Amino acid sequence: MKFKVGIDIGGTFTDIITISETGDTTVHKTLSTPQDSSIGFINGLREVAEMRSTNFEQFLSSIDTIVHGTTVATNALLTLKGAKTALITTKGFRDALEMRRGIREEQFNNHYKNVTPLVPRYLRFIVDERISAEGKVVKKFKEKELLPIIKKIQEEKVESVCICFMNSFKNNSHEKQAVKFLRKNLKGIFVTASFEVLPSIRFYERVSTTAVSAFVGPIVANYFDNLIKKLDDIKFKGTLLIMQSNGGVVTPDVVKKNPAVTVLSGPAAAPTAGAFYSALLGYKNCITVDMGGTSFDAALVIDNQCVTSTEGSINRYRIALPSLDIITIGAGGGSIGWIDNGGLLRMGPQSAGAMPGPVCYERGGTVPACTDADLILGYLNPDFFAGGKLKLNKAKAENTIKTVLADKLGLSVLETVAGMYRIINSNMAQGVREISVERGYDPREFLFIVAGGAGSIHSSEICKELEIPMFVVPNVSSIFCAAGMLLGDLKHDYIRSYFSSFTKIDKKHFLKVFNEMKEEGINTLLHEGVKEKDIELYPTLDMRYVGQYHEVPLQVEWNDILNFNLESVFEVFHKEHNRQFGYSLKEEQTEMELINIRLRMIGKMEKPKFLSSKGEAHNLEKALKEKRKAYIPELNVMQEIPVYDGDMPLGGAVIKGPAVIEKITTSVFVSNDYDCLVDEFGSFVVYNKSVYPDGFKVEKKKIIEVVD
Amino acid sequence: MKIDKILVSIFQRAFKSITDEMSISLTKTTRSPILCEAKDFVTGLYDAKGQMLEQTENLPILSFSLGPVCRVILEQYGSDIYPGDVIIHNDVFSMGNQNNDVAIFKPTFHNNVLVGWSAAKGHQADIGGAVQGGYNPNATEVWQEAIRIPAVKLYEKGKLRKDVWNLIFANIRLQMVQEDIKAQIGACTLGERRLEAFVAKYGLEIFESHKQALFDSTEKMMRAEIKAIPNGVYTGGSMVYFDGKHKGSKFPIRTKITVENDNITFDFSKSSPQTKGFVNGIYTSTCSAITLTFLQMVNPNIPHNEGMIKPLKYIVPEGTILNASYPAATTFGNHLCPQIADSIFKALGPAVPERITAGWNHLLCSLFTGNHPRTGKKYVDICFLGLKGGSGALKGDDGYDHIGMIDASGGVLDQDYEMYEQQTPHQIIQHEYLCDSGGAGEWRGGLGTETKILLKGGDTTMVVFGDGDVEPNYGLFGGKGSMLNKIELKYKNGKKLIPMSKDMIHGIPDNTLYYQVAGGGGGYGNPKKRDKEKVLWDVKNEVVSKKVAQKIYGVKK
Repeated sequence: MKFKVGIDIGGTFTDIITISETGDTTVHKTLSTPQDSSIGFINGLREVAEMRSTNFEQFLSSIDTIVHGTTVATNALLTLKGAKTALITTKGFRDALEMRRGIREEQFNNHYKNVTPLVPRYLRFIVDERISAEGKVVKKFKEKELLPIIKKIQEEKVESVCICFMNSFKNNSHEKQAVKFLRKNLKGIFVTASFEVLPSIRFYERVSTTAVSAFVGPIVANYFDNLIKKLDDIKFKGTLLIMQSNGGVVTPDVVKKNPAVTVLSGPAAAPTAGAFYSALLGYKNCITVDMGGTSFDAALVIDNQCVTSTEGSINRYRIALPSLDIITIGAGGGSIGWIDNGGLLRMGPQSAGAMPGPVCYERGGTVPACTDADLILGYLNPDFFAGGKLKLNKAKAENTIKTVLADKLGLSVLETVAGMYRIINSNMAQGVREISVERGYDPREFLFIVAGGAGSIHSSEICKELEIPMFVVPNVSSIFCAAGMLLGDLKHDYIRSYFSSFTKIDKKHFLKVFNEMKEEGINTLLHEGVKEKDIELYPTLDMRYVGQYHEVPLQVEWNDILNFNLESVFEVFHKEHNRQFGYSLKEEQTEMELINIRLRMIGKMEKPKFLSSKGEAHNLEKALKEKRKAYIPELNVMQEIPVYDGDMPLGGAVIKGPAVIEKITTSVFVSNDYDCLVDEFGSFVVYNKSVYPDGFKVEKKKIIEVVD
Repeated sequence: MKIDKILVSIFQRAFKSITDEMSISLTKTTRSPILCEAKDFVTGLYDAKGQMLEQTENLPILSFSLGPVCRVILEQYGSDIYPGDVIIHNDVFSMGNQNNDVAIFKPTFHNNVLVGWSAAKGHQADIGGAVQGGYNPNATEVWQEAIRIPAVKLYEKGKLRKDVWNLIFANIRLQMVQEDIKAQIGACTLGERRLEAFVAKYGLEIFESHKQALFDSTEKMMRAEIKAIPNGVYTGGSMVYFDGKHKGSKFPIRTKITVENDNITFDFSKSSPQTKGFVNGIYTSTCSAITLTFLQMVNPNIPHNEGMIKPLKYIVPEGTILNASYPAATTFGNHLCPQIADSIFKALGPAVPERITAGWNHLLCSLFTGNHPRTGKKYVDICFLGLKGGSGALKGDDGYDHIGMIDASGGVLDQDYEMYEQQTPHQIIQHEYLCDSGGAGEWRGGLGTETKILLKGGDTTMVVFGDGDVEPNYGLFGGKGSMLNKIELKYKNGKKLIPMSKDMIHGIPDNTLYYQVAGGGGGYGNPKKRDKEKVLWDVKNEVVSKKVAQKIYGVKK
């Protein structure tokens, strides 16, 4: 029996999912070991072997692939504990990285500070070289200018070096020379150049992304070296793959060359899993949401593809590599309720976090949080939170809410907590609206997929606000990202700047650039063990109307590229522009220009069958745990409603709203306007009764299509 | 009607989400870099009476004139407003703030009743008049600056009035402006659709009552902030130099601020009479300047709606430099904001020393126009990257480096260097922080910058406008001022030219070097008290020289 394993290392927990060829699934959560997360990685594998009553060595030898998502790079950026990094750049441009084009995000807040630059000014060195806007050498690069810089780098014990020269997207010869010389003369130091990280126009985006890559580079490389050694030590013979920010996977070698591709490694798997679950229900588009302790993440899947964007940043550090387009807003179980000076109730974005956490945790929290409200509203069971591991103190939460909020608002405790619930739901709904509408999509046409945590208590109301008819809480929601990792394909993104009006494009050159990227991609994928027949190509042109400043990435057909069929490309562009921005300039026959060409190369991976049936419907009454008073938002009253044990096999059952379904890892609130179908794999499909008056049925045929 | 307090919170967030969405749409669809890169625009929602529901203020100086214009429109059209109407406006003598800042308004209806407006105003790349780009330092009357557009319908009941459209755009040089106005109409349509759906969802009665409750709550917040300022009458002043006509001329700005419990009045009556040139403010640009300055002194989380501005009283008599009479030239008016801000900070300094900043760098700016040999097309480009200096320090924090004038407060972005070199024929030689440009102090002023650009393409026209080249930005409480702004042209033949602060230079030849210094912000508190580690860190990073460290900060290594 062969296994695939997904391992998602987060701040608190390391999630592991193991799936056999036949779909036999083991799900496990173990504590993370932040000092050296590879320890938690190996421990977790050991524990899974025990759970399966298998000898560890035997278990290891039966694993053919481990897919791993890591927050090593993310944490280095969030805590600013990356490598001591130097930047070498063109004379005259020493400060672009720190200036960030002169933005202050909070315009009316004079105490708001700029970010700490990843490379301090004294480690930003300049050389007197220059390439012109046309790509011609204006001032020749001389290696000897690097000598004093190398000396300084050594004196300062710099651990990582990045190079970014002006207009290198047009002509990278200077960067190539510099990187070669530095690698030769700075042994043991991580060296990277912008043409290796992001060879595209826009200096600030490029220098920032390159600096991020250098800043996290040595840490990421060390982490993987260490992990691979540990896996070698325990004689793991399978393949290790790493989750990237773009939702695909790669081998560790590729990551070590450009570590910035893992900056969003963890959350990137959720939309991938979302795409899988929505396909099961016959949907091509879905929104995946993940409500954790401090934040709420939302991402889009369109036509079964996760939406990527190049406009991302972390901790205000700009990263222009294609990453899954995930918006994060400050709304989580720990979001605190407060009253502003105008007497209005607000929720978040500040969070009580896990420590001290909400008042009901009794860990010293004194500010009312969302979880306190959820508890008082009856959605959470004080004796069964995290399966009973953490007892919640409802009385204490009520007292605090009364004194801190309710009395000041002149409302009852119940009115106040219902208000907290409504406000945070509205905040999350606006966040979801922004990610969809901003990109020109109507959220009503999307399936809403909820990963783990507190999200499934709030989804009925969020969906109602957005007029989304149905949401799904997948069977593996508690380890949703780990599961998503096993559903990703090998994915490599290539980019070349190609600034030209379409009328002036030289067909031969245009195809040559594409073919270069294609060759590189094919070689990498073959090296990663992909068969040629499993390789897919997705070309994208970043283009705009002449005179516009912001380009629109347009995915095009490979055949149109090969045949240089530009008319067809233009047609699609007009349509896409109209969809996103409400108008096109087709009638005006406005000329278009090309900025960048991109090629995404995908190596299709075999998908695990982790949809083992959970058995037929049990008698619902058997799963009925209790009746409990809970808040019904549609009626604005507390009402006694049934609470079901969601960990019992319930396949095929229909649970009428209002009801609460409790699992060890999560609770689902099905409000008055909804019913819930438990599908045969144990996922909860919650649908609006008025949209599906005859109930909702999963079509068998569709499942087979997706699974096989 | 009973107010659902929770719904009031939800209203606030929903309005903000609408104006943000309009703003994103504009960023992505406009063509002029002034709009899509520098974000020199604002989007807003107003109720049926023209009261502000919410705004997204990328560039705050434009922002607080939309409400007044909306009220002008209501008065002008009365009941003659229909679904599908689109109204355009720029006229500074009917509450516009600057000729180039063109506003689009679209009414929103619910069951055939007018319930509100969506609006978008942006700085257009051209607005007719004598000089491309709109900044005409020789202007003495409005017609030399721009085409005047009092409120006029571009669309009526959904139908384009092609004749009106043609009339307006026959007077504007660049085709691009038409496309940008289309983008503004698009953004307003988004706002209209969402406001319409919002009112439909809650019903008109709930909408009206809860909107009012939101205003009341915000007003309460603002009044609490005012109440925290000790009662009194405070005065401050600053100086505007050179009207573009008379060398050496100067014009005082004088403010008298009266704080009485939770009311505050800004009285600028004693300021200089209006100038003969284009260095004149207009009522709404001055009120915007006052508002955005005061907003920097209060809780930044106050929602931006009518309740926020209600407690603020403005007295700016007509005929003064801050509210010029018809038909004065006024294009420079937005840029009097730095002086207005200075006078307010100086006035309130003794009352609330912990809330004010030292002097911000004043704007000194150039705008290039010419032909791009590679594309064969005309370009207009405001040199944003060169003009942005530092902000003043305040108690507890250094100023912000390279943030730019206070009227934008970091909302205007530099052009990307590589995009700039594609879009214009010019080559950037240097754009870096300038050592010792931040005014010394216990808290240091934000850093200014040094910019060198090799002007290419030949026959370039440069318009210069601004200030800050006579009097340095002031320090506070023992902090030092910063250095002056400067622009200089170095011709290939070795000749140098320092333009005046309002000037226009024609026919600049190929390979002329443009040099600009944007000064830093003023320092706050005695520099000798500055944390030694911070001084040494600044020296290590070469933003403070060893000499200044030793002489002014008294720090030796």
